[in-house]
Amino acid sequence: MAKHVGRGFAAIEYPTGMNQNGDPSQAWIKVKPDGRIDVFAGTSDIGNGSKTIQSQIVAETIGVPYDWITYDNSNTDSSPVCTGTFASRATFVAGKAVEKAALKVREQILEIAGKELEIDPGDLEITDGEVVAKGAPQKKIGVPDVAAAATWGHGELITGVGAQLKPYAAIVEPETGKVDLPPHSAISYAACAAEVEVDDETGEVRVTRLVQCYDVGRAINPTLVEGQIEGGAVQGLGLGVLENCYPYYPSVEHRGGEFGSYLAPGMEDLPQIDTIIIENPSADGPYGAKGIGEMANNSQPPAIAAAVYDALGVWITELPITPERVLRALEAKAEPGREGKKVVFDEELSVNTVSNGGMRFEVPA
Amino acid sequence: MKAVGARLPRYDGVEHVTGRTTFVDDVRIPGTLWVKALRSPVHRADITALDTGAAESMKGVHAVITWKDVPLLEYGHLSALGIPADEPLLAKDDLRYKGQPIALVAAEDEETALEAVDAIKLDVSEKPALLDVRQAFDADAPVIHQWGNWYPHFEAEMDRRQIRKGDIDKAFDQADTIVQGVYRPAAIEHVPLETQVCQVVPEASGRLTIYSCTQALYFSMGVVAAHLQIPLNRLKLVGGTVGGGFGGKVDTATETMCSLLALKSGRPVKWRWTREEEFLCSSTRAPWHMEIADAVTSDGWIVGRKMLTLHDSGAYARFSPYGLTKHSFHHTGAYTIPNLSFDGYVVFTNRVPTTAMRGFGVTSVSFAAETHMSRVAEVLGLDPYEVRLKNANRIGDTSPNGVVYTDPSTVPTIQAIADAMGHELSAEYRTMNRHQREGELLPEHLVTQVGNPEEH
Repeated sequence: MAKHVGRGFAAIEYPTGMNQNGDPSQAWIKVKPDGRIDVFAGTSDIGNGSKTIQSQIVAETIGVPYDWITYDNSNTDSSPVCTGTFASRATFVAGKAVEKAALKVREQILEIAGKELEIDPGDLEITDGEVVAKGAPQKKIGVPDVAAAATWGHGELITGVGAQLKPYAAIVEPETGKVDLPPHSAISYAACAAEVEVDDETGEVRVTRLVQCYDVGRAINPTLVEGQIEGGAVQGLGLGVLENCYPYYPSVEHRGGEFGSYLAPGMEDLPQIDTIIIENPSADGPYGAKGIGEMANNSQPPAIAAAVYDALGVWITELPITPERVLRALEAKAEPGREGKKVVFDEELSVNTVSNGGMRFEVPA
Repeated sequence: MKAVGARLPRYDGVEHVTGRTTFVDDVRIPGTLWVKALRSPVHRADITALDTGAAESMKGVHAVITWKDVPLLEYGHLSALGIPADEPLLAKDDLRYKGQPIALVAAEDEETALEAVDAIKLDVSEKPALLDVRQAFDADAPVIHQWGNWYPHFEAEMDRRQIRKGDIDKAFDQADTIVQGVYRPAAIEHVPLETQVCQVVPEASGRLTIYSCTQALYFSMGVVAAHLQIPLNRLKLVGGTVGGGFGGKVDTATETMCSLLALKSGRPVKWRWTREEEFLCSSTRAPWHMEIADAVTSDGWIVGRKMLTLHDSGAYARFSPYGLTKHSFHHTGAYTIPNLSFDGYVVFTNRVPTTAMRGFGVTSVSFAAETHMSRVAEVLGLDPYEVRLKNANRIGDTSPNGVVYTDPSTVPTIQAIADAMGHELSAEYRTMNRHQREGELLPEHLVTQVGNPEEH
């Protein structure tokens, strides 16, 4: 009876935006008479931080302080279309829409500032809420004064709209799956190492450490992207060793209807989590960003399964890797079948074993 | 100050953690009725009798709805993409999963609503359930869905999602070793802190104000408008702040039914699922059955992959055809494999329909493909990092469905982890980069896989 430690590794990729695209996001922005900025977008914030990220993109693009931004996604009367917060699309697709709208607002601010300063708008830039002449920083006007001049002097509303839509990528050959366009907005990449400690008496797997690296394109807000990565790691840990709606799947017996019978990860399950962020900018995301919200729980289960093998010498390929499954695997000590050059694992789980011939998995020899 | 790249606090974080954010459940509307549901008590049955008369005549009950009250009973999650609908909003002739909604009641208070649900007369004739996706294709399997036991409406009316590339037979013939395995990740719950919840107010103007926890305001608005057969200007969805979703709140699980009750009763209504309903009746992440056979060379090249995926969709299709397609596009993971044969099926079973969840379609295949990769390395006696680096997709490589990768970071992310873990890589892998293949990294079997990233 002993505790065994093991290490495992996995590398993954994941698309940004709806598969095959065709998922629009739109935004509109208006400027109050004192230069404060109202952003209207339809992106639900499900905890992914999209209100913050989109506000940062608007502040950066126009050139005003972040706390000048009010972000309103509260209802469908005032907010334009956003396909939704899923498919890792809120930063890239919806973020691109607010960036485009903000660029138009910036252009109008420069135009009116140009009239006020009697300088060509092309010779002006906006920094920290001030419109400044390039190369002549003493010539400047605050964005609040520009907004006031627009409202009370020029009779103009400074406003801008933006929309992002990648065209639908059709499957042009159903037999091969070939598509006519890239079926994603971008692809993100990640790798993960897991360390586990397994008790061969109780079968319990404790994940003690997860070390993860993500290419996020550009971290619009490093704190929030780390939050996504760490939160995803905990959900991946749940997938790997804890959570199961149907403990004896495919049976529906013993299904848990309360927290006492459904093991979602808690603070006590948290391993040490180390996060490495690399930034290989995407070609056309806002400021080079890619979406990583969803993939954040994809790399841990295979890394954990490999770590359990490293610790015990048994492969467990039905998730979650529960104490019961560990103990049964240790008892069975299954070896793969070998026939010619074939090495066949998990034969007992295959359709070839379980079905009555209706479905077969034929492998050429 | 630069806003992009700054570690700014979450826009609404302080309100969230101090309990001051108004979530859907926090909205207080005078005169609100409580909603409760009659749900299927069995996994599969025909409905032989459904009588709501006694419930409707109870004191304090203001409306009861069944399938008869829904202007358009079937509207699919993917109808907007032209994919046919299969699921009635409320069960009509038969029951396909335990917990399926049959009738809803709006009453003065929660207790009365529960009593009214109990007063609805439901008779069913139970039938054998199908639960194992591996047996769904057998001649002796019960046929549980109007389309048969698996989804038949992929492009060209194909009954599966197929990927084909290269010459799979040749790859397996030339391989030194063939490694086969089976991978089965489980169904899990989304477990949001905020259970499914909705409030609907019938306004004097004739519009409906829908307080919704949806992850997708416009998608859900479209779903409600389609079922009710009304234009979008009759609806105002209020939301945008969600107490945890993870994919489970794209379903529009409550908004349409509450709208029907608000219209029928003329009163505001509120439906908040209990934690038990959230666990047992809300859709889950799908369980998947995946079988992989890889044709590999002794020095660690993966030259071919054959794969079979059975996606347990539960009782109805919902987003599953989309999820399976995404799965198929990513079934080679972060690697370039020149010869492919993938077949995937969306299989119906008598369990709660499955839906989107964080990583939809790909979480499953990441587990399968990566665990398989670890096995391949172990069988060949090679370093698991180096086998991955060798096969890693690179700029200019071609995806399973013919798209050239423009910016893959598989190589640098693997190297970063090797470095952080103190995992010693040999020189050729330590100095590898993500740029286009050449030299020893462009063996004959990959020549056809190199395209021009400038064209994509």
